[in-house]
Amino acid sequence: MTDSNDTAEFDSIPVDHAFVCADCGHRWYYTRRRCPDCGGTDVSTYELAVGELIAWTENRVTPADIRSPNRLGLARFGEVQLIAQLSDDEVSVGDQVAFEGAYHLRHGSETPKPRLTPLE
Amino acid sequence: MTPFENASDRSVVDLAGVAAERALEDGDYSRAEITSVHVGNALSEGLGTQAGLANALSSALGVEGVRSDRIENTSATGASAVHRGVEAVASGQSDVALVVGVEKMSVGETADVTDSIRQLVHPREYEQGLTLPSFAGLAANVYLDRYDAPHDALAAVAEKNHRNAVDNPVAQFQKRISVDDVLESPVIADPLRLYDCCPMTDGAAALVLSREEGVQVTSIASATGTHAVAARPDPLAIESVRLAGERTFDGVDLERDDVDVACIHDAFTVLELLELEELGFYDAGTAWEATLDGKTRLDGELPVNPGGGLKARGHPLGATGISQLIELVWQLRGDLPDQRRVPDAEVGFAINVAGFGNNSVCTLLES
Ligand SMILES: [Zn+2]
Repeated sequence: MTDSNDTAEFDSIPVDHAFVCADCGHRWYYTRRRCPDCGGTDVSTYELAVGELIAWTENRVTPADIRSPNRLGLARFGEVQLIAQLSDDEVSVGDQVAFEGAYHLRHGSETPKPRLTPLE
Repeated sequence: MTPFENASDRSVVDLAGVAAERALEDGDYSRAEITSVHVGNALSEGLGTQAGLANALSSALGVEGVRSDRIENTSATGASAVHRGVEAVASGQSDVALVVGVEKMSVGETADVTDSIRQLVHPREYEQGLTLPSFAGLAANVYLDRYDAPHDALAAVAEKNHRNAVDNPVAQFQKRISVDDVLESPVIADPLRLYDCCPMTDGAAALVLSREEGVQVTSIASATGTHAVAARPDPLAIESVRLAGERTFDGVDLERDDVDVACIHDAFTVLELLELEELGFYDAGTAWEATLDGKTRLDGELPVNPGGGLKARGHPLGATGISQLIELVWQLRGDLPDQRRVPDAEVGFAINVAGFGNNSVCTLLES
C-alpha cells in the first residue's frame, strides 16, 4: 500500500526543483521514489539554477487547458535534463535559461509557477 | 483485417469480429480450432465504448470456452498482443492463437482522444502540457541541427509512405502527397507539420498463430524505456527501440542486412529516421540521406513501410502492430500485385512503439 500523503508530498515539489540521492549523489528531475542509479531511498530536492537550452519547439495544437501555441524548451541543468514551458522572450539553442516568473501553466491551475526564461 | 478509415459504421466488437473472421478464413481455420484469443485495444473504456472487450469478442465469435484476455500497451498494443499470442503457442499453452487488435478512435471528440493519449506522459510532463507531437518536434529540431539535414528529409518520409499506400486497398489515405504538400501543411509542433503526423483511425487487424507451415515468427522481443522523454541523456536516443531490436536479432541466424522489407513505427516522420538508426539499419545521422536517395522506397535497398506506414495506412492503436505484420506476411508470401510488392522478400522486420519510446516491440518474420 502507498501512503497518500507521500503522493501529495511529491506533487508539491516545485517545478524548478530536482532530486538528488544522498547515497550516491545521482540527480534526476522526473519524480521517482528510488534513485534510478543505486536504488537508494534517501532522496532530497534542490533548486535548479542555470541551464542550457538544447532545443525548443512551438506546439500549436495543445490540450484544451494549455496555452496555444505552447512554447517548450528542452534544457540541461548539469546532469539533469527536462522539458518545460518557455517564456515569450526570444530564445536560441545554446542560450542560458533559468526558471523565472509566475504563470498559470494550465488554465485554471491554482498556483502560478515559473517558466524557462533566457538570461540576459 | 478491415480497411483502415476515418470513421467506421461498425462497433468495436463488430470491427474486431470482421477482422478475426477474415484471418480465420485466410488461414483455413475453423472457429472450433481456436484455443486462445488475444485482444489488443488501447482506448475502449477511455472513450466510453465496450469494456471487457476480450469476453464480448469471444462470445460474438462464438468461441466461448477459450482462454481470452485483453492487452494494452498504448500505441504498441497490437504487437504486444501478438507477443502474448506467440508466447502462448511457443509454450504449448495454446495450439491455435487468434490475435485481434482493434481501435475506434472516431467515437471520441478529437479533444477526448488527445486527452486519453496525453495521459500517457509523466506527471511532470503533463504539468507542462506536453503532447506526443511536442516530443517529436523537439527531437526533429535536434536531428536536423545535429546532422545538418534539410527539412525536406522529413517530408520525404511522408511522401514515400503515401506513395506506398496508393495501391493498398486497406490504407486510410490512398493518395500521393508531395514534399511541398507536407512543407505547406499547418504547423503542429515546429518543425513538424500536419503531414508529418499520423492520423486517427478506425480499424481492426487479426492474425492466427499456430505451429503449422506458413510464414514463421523467427523472433519477437520488447523493451521498456524511460517514462519521461527528457530523462534520456541523448534526445535522439530511444533506448527501448535499441534494446528491443537487439533482443530480436539475439540468438537468431539473421543480421540487419538480411532484412528484405521493414515496417517502422512512423507515428511522426522523424521517428522513422530515428528508429532506422537506433535499430542499426543505418548509422546515426544517415537515415535522412538514405531516404532522400530513395533507398527506403519500394524499389530501394531496404523498402520501409511498403503498405503506407502509420502515416498513410493509418494508426488505430490496438490494430497497428498487427497490420504491420499482416503487411509483412503479404510481402513474404508474394501475394500482392507487382506495383505494391517487394520482389523476392524472404525476411521481414517490424517495430511497433508505445508513446514516444516508452516501450517497443520488434518482430522478425521469415517466409
Ligand atoms: Zn543513488
